[in-house]
Amino acid sequence: MKYKLTKNIDGTISTTQVIRISDGAFIPFDEENADYQKYLEWIAEGNTPEEAE
Amino acid sequence: MASTINALTGSGGVAILGDTSGEIELQSAGVTKAKVTSSGLQNASGVAITAQSGKNLIINGNMQIAQRAQSVTGITSSSGTYSTMDRFQDIVRTVGTWTQTQDTDVPTGQGFATSLKMDCTTANGSLSADSWLRWQTQLEGFNCQPFKFGTANAESITLSFWVKSNKTGTYCIELYQTDSGRAISKSYTIDSANTYEKKELTFVGDTAGNISNDNGSGFIVTYWFAAGANYQSGTLQTSWGAITTANRAVGQVNLADSTSNYINITGIQLEANTTATPFENLQYGQQLALCQRYYEYGTRNFYGSTDSAGNIVSEETYKVVKRATPTMVYGTWSWARSGTGGTGSPINYQTNINKWSCYIGAGLGYVASFSGGSWTASSEL
Repeated sequence: MKYKLTKNIDGTISTTQVIRISDGAFIPFDEENADYQKYLEWIAEGNTPEEAE
Repeated sequence: MASTINALTGSGGVAILGDTSGEIELQSAGVTKAKVTSSGLQNASGVAITAQSGKNLIINGNMQIAQRAQSVTGITSSSGTYSTMDRFQDIVRTVGTWTQTQDTDVPTGQGFATSLKMDCTTANGSLSADSWLRWQTQLEGFNCQPFKFGTANAESITLSFWVKSNKTGTYCIELYQTDSGRAISKSYTIDSANTYEKKELTFVGDTAGNISNDNGSGFIVTYWFAAGANYQSGTLQTSWGAITTANRAVGQVNLADSTSNYINITGIQLEANTTATPFENLQYGQQLALCQRYYEYGTRNFYGSTDSAGNIVSEETYKVVKRATPTMVYGTWSWARSGTGGTGSPINYQTNINKWSCYIGAGLGYVASFSGGSWTASSEL
């Protein structure tokens, strides 16, 4: 599983969501979201998301 | 126990009078099924018998709702994917290849129209130590409070379901409390090949448990179909305690050992009771709405204008409020403005538990515009 950062509507880097590359899903930075929990585990393994396009 | 039965000749009725405790028990084959106490009519475990609505804590237990797909082939690895059936995850690791289907093979005359089927297409007769094949459904903490776990009044809970497989033998069920990490397991036997059988398993309540009253995972029901040595080298954990890997699925047959193997399950009910009661049927719309708290999809056609930056912003309120802020997936959308148009991928924008919104770039200027496409929102446990 890989992730990449995304931009806000004003062009700044989003601090509220990240994209899961495999299916283009927008994962919210909400600890109650199961996909975000998996993202945090991925980060904890030492991974880094790709830069926003 | 009742001590007197009086025939009321005047009114034509029959009165059953309790003993000095005032309690009347109704038994079948020596087993109490219901009772009348000073508090009123109760089931065998003392729970008031009132309206039966909501007694089944399993959502989609009759395998009626499959919003994502009706069949998925080539399943070889999964760490909790909702492949077909809403609310049921498959967990698959080094255990062959599987097709999962919302199937129409059901127990005759029981009021079910669909079942969930796993069909083995590539076998693995020699499992790795960490192989597993299982389904699980997670219950939201809010919905688990009737269990009264963590109190002296913790209820016994009964799981009932219909199952059919060509592979006879021992299968394991595991209950797990997410907040406390406590688990209990029981096994059942599929006695007759290719024949639907109803199974009923009763688990004692857990007075030491803890299920938070929140929107997180409170309770997980797991159906095991194959388990490597890591999960069955100990003794099946038949009383509540900290989950122990080696004790999770002791005795479990290997459903993956032949491409002839399959299993169908439907009519799953989990209730606070010492015995299984008839399956609680919900109307289709009710069941769909319960599922949509966790997953919903739709299509959107928006007619309006671009913002000053040339983005077409579209938003929509969900049919059902979500459990948590959902993961959004958008399909390829179409857009048009002032004689030009195209396709693209929307960017998610200001989504929460009540509504989603997204935008797609269409060029500068406030102009009449259109955008449309599909979306899914997932707030599964």
